[in-house]
Amino acid sequence: MITLKTLHILNKPPEHSRYRLCLRAIGPGDGLLLTENGVLAVTRLSGIDSERCFALAADLEARGLSSQVSTDQTVSFDGMVDLTASAENVISW
Amino acid sequence: MSTLIIIDQPPYGSWEGREALDMAFSLAAFDQPVSLLFCGAGVNWLRKGQDAAEVQQKSIERNLAAAPVFGVEALLADRSACDQYGLDDAALLDHVTITDLGKELTGRFDHVAFAG
Repeated sequence: MITLKTLHILNKPPEHSRYRLCLRAIGPGDGLLLTENGVLAVTRLSGIDSERCFALAADLEARGLSSQVSTDQTVSFDGMVDLTASAENVISW
Repeated sequence: MSTLIIIDQPPYGSWEGREALDMAFSLAAFDQPVSLLFCGAGVNWLRKGQDAAEVQQKSIERNLAAAPVFGVEALLADRSACDQYGLDDAALLDHVTITDLGKELTGRFDHVAFAG
């Protein structure tokens, strides 16, 4: 299980102002978890270090985006809990 | 009196988009000419392969498939938003027409309304 400094949980679509703020706040050793409308970012994110970028499976499926994310970057609800537990702190954007 | 309803909210994130869909279907049911325009994050309503069971919602895909049957005249999608979200013809639902949001388009309707 990787350990994360800060886990950023983002549920805002790319058009939302907090989306850009969140991306700017991601530092070395941090992780990004996309949930709800935040998973729409998977259609655009290229720069993000994919090793620490995750998306919630249920939200991907709802939006027909599952095929656009590798399995090891797709997390279940339990996986989401593990991620938050493995981070020193969490910011929900 | 023709109406264009614009949906710019992403699907499943809030209820406003669904209310706009209901509004469009009701207008159509009363034989009022109505079309739907999806732009911004709203174009994500139109992606094939939606399965919303895990988020305890009905898939929107089925509602939209019924639109022509209900008498909705057109399902329009803004081209630039489709490009931003990687939505090409293959990824889009059937009966969707890609167009450009602008005064030429909105000018064609007597009434233009947003989804909440």
